Amino acid sequence: MEHPILFISIILEMLGLPVPHTITGHGLLEQLCTPYMTYTWLVMAFLIVVPKLTMGKLEMVPGSGQNFWEVTVGGLMDFFTENLGEDGAKMLFPMMATFFFYIILANMIGLIPGFMSPTSNLNITLGMTIIVWITHHVLGFKTHGLSYYKHFMGPSKALAPFMFILEIISNFARLISLSMRLFGNIFAKEVLLAVLFMLAGAFFAPLPILCLGVLVSVIQAVVFVLLAVLYCAGSLEHAH
Amino acid sequence: MSEDRREMFRQLADYSHVGMTFVFSIVIGFGIGWFLDNKAFDGKTTPYLTFIFFGLGIAAGFKNLWELTKKISDGKK
Repeated sequence: MEHPILFISIILEMLGLPVPHTITGHGLLEQLCTPYMTYTWLVMAFLIVVPKLTMGKLEMVPGSGQNFWEVTVGGLMDFFTENLGEDGAKMLFPMMATFFFYIILANMIGLIPGFMSPTSNLNITLGMTIIVWITHHVLGFKTHGLSYYKHFMGPSKALAPFMFILEIISNFARLISLSMRLFGNIFAKEVLLAVLFMLAGAFFAPLPILCLGVLVSVIQAVVFVLLAVLYCAGSLEHAH
Repeated sequence: MSEDRREMFRQLADYSHVGMTFVFSIVIGFGIGWFLDNKAFDGKTTPYLTFIFFGLGIAAGFKNLWELTKKISDGKK
């Protein structure tokens, strides 16, 4: 398949840095220059610089930039409060909101030619999922102490060892399905766009897929954050 | 976000999740059994633990389905 043109990789190659042509590359420097790493940094830089520019100083009567951020952040906060309660939402808001902004931007950026979605690489999605997974178990142990183990034991005493194994298995299944869904959807979008651009880019063949890509990007970002929030809510509440 | 859309996203999360969780539960159950058989016990117990954990994986998948149905039926009340 024809390699898509990624402008950061081209710039890095011009600077004489080794850009790998496999997915991950060998050696530290090559791994740091892989497209999904460089585009992750681009998204991170965007998320740091753009809010700084659009918000500026907070004012009593918000301008258009501040208005946008107030609406998004307020909406997210309401959404978290509904699922986690006031305290939980305040505690988890920085992490979950960062995930939301990062994922939605990382998904959307792949729709522009010359960019790729960092989330179309399993390393990124699995990394985020492991963070969520460890967080929700740590949170469970923090709020319930050692009696958090009751979450794994099911309702009846007789079935407890059996239920324990089932819970362990379904917990790992959670880990994999959460990362694989985000990765699969975005990777499919990327590959489909690349193939259609290659085959019939001159006839606007990728156009419908671009529209669907916007939809998929938003839905996957919301669903990832929603599931992460639901897991945390599950470990915060009392065992049945 | 309006109430309808919020409900839509929640259902989307639930239903798009349950199929994959079902499959991965089975795969992970099988994987654990295979690992115990071939790596941990050096093939002494070979087919049995794989089958047992395969069954447990299927049970875990169905448990997820059961929990989802329970959640939906509780929400309908």
